[in-house]
Amino acid sequence: MPYLFVAPNMFIFLTFIIWPAIRGFQISFYDSIDGRTFTPVGAGNYRAIFGDPTVAEVAKNTAIYVIFYVIISTVLSIAFALIVNEQQFAKGFFRAILFLPVMLSPVVVGLIWNDVLDRKVGPLNSLLEALGGGSPGWLIEPKLGMIAVIFVGVWVHLGFYSIILLAGLQGIDRSLLEAAAMDGATRPQIIRTIILPLLKPTTLVILILATIHGFQSFDFIYTLTGGGPFGATTLIVQYIYDRAFQTPIQYGLGSAAGVVLFMIIFAFTALNFLLGKKRQAI
Amino acid sequence: MNKSLRSKIAIAASLVLSAGLVATGLPSAQAAGLQPTAAQLSAWKGKTISYYFYNDSQAELDTTKSQIAAFEKLTGATVKLDVIPFTNYDPTLQARLAAGNAPDVARLNNPGLYINDSLDLEKYLGRKYKTEFLKGSTLQVTHPTTKKLIGVPYDLTVNGPFINVEMFKEAGVAVPTSWNWTELIAAGKKVQKATGSEYAFAIDKTGHRVSTVMSHFGAYMVDKNKRNVLRSSKFRAEKAVKMITDLYVADLAPRDLWIGTGTKYSSPTAIFLGQQTPIFFSGNWQVASLAKDAKFEFAAVPNPKELNGGGWPGGKFLTAFNTSKTPDLAAYFVYYLADTAQMEEMDKNAFWLPVRVDLVEKGVKYATRSSDMAVFQADAGKTPAAAYGIQSVPTLTALIYNNLRDLMTDVMGGKITVKEAIAKQIVFIDEKLATLKK
Repeated sequence: MPYLFVAPNMFIFLTFIIWPAIRGFQISFYDSIDGRTFTPVGAGNYRAIFGDPTVAEVAKNTAIYVIFYVIISTVLSIAFALIVNEQQFAKGFFRAILFLPVMLSPVVVGLIWNDVLDRKVGPLNSLLEALGGGSPGWLIEPKLGMIAVIFVGVWVHLGFYSIILLAGLQGIDRSLLEAAAMDGATRPQIIRTIILPLLKPTTLVILILATIHGFQSFDFIYTLTGGGPFGATTLIVQYIYDRAFQTPIQYGLGSAAGVVLFMIIFAFTALNFLLGKKRQAI
Repeated sequence: MNKSLRSKIAIAASLVLSAGLVATGLPSAQAAGLQPTAAQLSAWKGKTISYYFYNDSQAELDTTKSQIAAFEKLTGATVKLDVIPFTNYDPTLQARLAAGNAPDVARLNNPGLYINDSLDLEKYLGRKYKTEFLKGSTLQVTHPTTKKLIGVPYDLTVNGPFINVEMFKEAGVAVPTSWNWTELIAAGKKVQKATGSEYAFAIDKTGHRVSTVMSHFGAYMVDKNKRNVLRSSKFRAEKAVKMITDLYVADLAPRDLWIGTGTKYSSPTAIFLGQQTPIFFSGNWQVASLAKDAKFEFAAVPNPKELNGGGWPGGKFLTAFNTSKTPDLAAYFVYYLADTAQMEEMDKNAFWLPVRVDLVEKGVKYATRSSDMAVFQADAGKTPAAAYGIQSVPTLTALIYNNLRDLMTDVMGGKITVKEAIAKQIVFIDEKLATLKK
């Protein structure tokens, strides 16, 4: 009987996730320019990926993005969760505001920030100019482009992570916090010695999710910068997309890059999971 | 001959003719003006075909919808219109083809990408059908090996500049009737200075548009014999590319739009409509949307003339796919959209330049913006024959244009020099042409 209940979900999961993943792995050993005719090339696509000079650049961009994205997202989402948890005034409203970007379409996110970050007529630069800060080329300077996409990436997911952490916070036994307060612990001490250690399992989830989201980031970046300027915001998923769907189409190469991405995400997730378990055991 | 016998012969003749038509699918264009037979109408009734489509203006979409409605009434078939944004047009279509979900008919601007997926239209529309269209335009939809017609020219596009007439007047700069590139840039700078606009000039981010500028300076990339001719005109190409990239480096053109959009196509239409630039280099397909959206007086002006004047050829095409379950219906839909009446209606409504020989000879009378269209038509006539050379390699044109665009981005960012960019483009074209020989 239980299998009957999970069957519809399993069917969808197997059809749209597992089967395409298996096919993708299979296609990574073939060359195909149209998705209908396949020529076996062995490990040729993998060799081509690791021999492609743009891959090193893409890997560097992805590493920078993921590291900053994960750290900033995690720190800020803990901070926001703590603030929202304490807040009494209009808490529903502020929680909705915090969560709002999560509900926006990535394309809309890209378009909104494209306007906001416009060098000549964008509101951000208008404000900066009024304050004497000049007109930075957010979308035409490589370093600023990376800062912009990290910021927007964090902005998009912050509400989601904060809500998860908020649930974790509300699961903490309040008697522990009250006892610490009665013993004279200050608010920072309570956060550092009680709340954060008890939030570790939830924080681990956030770290894993943020790492996965970081590696998978593509849609809003593609709309915002198209991977530019000068490839500075081209991450691994755009590399896969470009190889698989932009002329000239190279489905085999795109699939091989997809397999590489899977291995990376799997390795990071496993590492996070194992480290988290180790910490819990200690 | 009595009346009864005459009618019997007439009936017999029409039966023989009908049987012949049914047996060979659709009659040739010359045979019967392609009115569907009763048998075909009966077979098509209730059938559905999909039409993969993008539009540059609302007028194109509205006209297409009304023509589809008329087609559905005529045939009893249903046409499912899939309107796709241009930015992801080819990737989406290629993915659909790969997934076995090809549409029946598509409007294309890169027919070379679909050569092996396109239906042989001659089988359904006759061998002489292609003669109804301009020869230069049919080249891009002629299969390179079989020489069969695999698509139909839908419109002819000509690249060229638009100006904001009000900004020109405000700056005291006369609307040009002829000019060269030095004069164009000087005028742009003068208007920018006088009006305080953000930019002096803007051009679509595509190698296709830049090829026009190169053509003005006498530089071309591929000739009609599929040879790399950039090598022999590299100094001219360098001059043209340097002139454009210098405008972007100096912030006289919208750098954000070119550099800040990665490897995507982008058009400064919104920048022109926002009166941020007095000059916008694009093409005639913009006329309808500019006429609808511009809150100021604008005009198409002649292409600058250096060694050459004129525009750069391009266009849209209609193709039916060979995976269609009702290929005769798909072919007839292509025929219907491209017949004289429908095309004339579309040309008038959407400000297209005609590609049908009969319409070119007759001339299309545009209700408005006729002076703009006259400018583009005049530039079409001045376009050098060498500009059509790249159409000899329809499978490579998109690659060659895109690589030029990306190299220009690197020049704007100071990563390579113009000289290096052209040298790299020469090598790239060599490599791509070599793939044709394999």
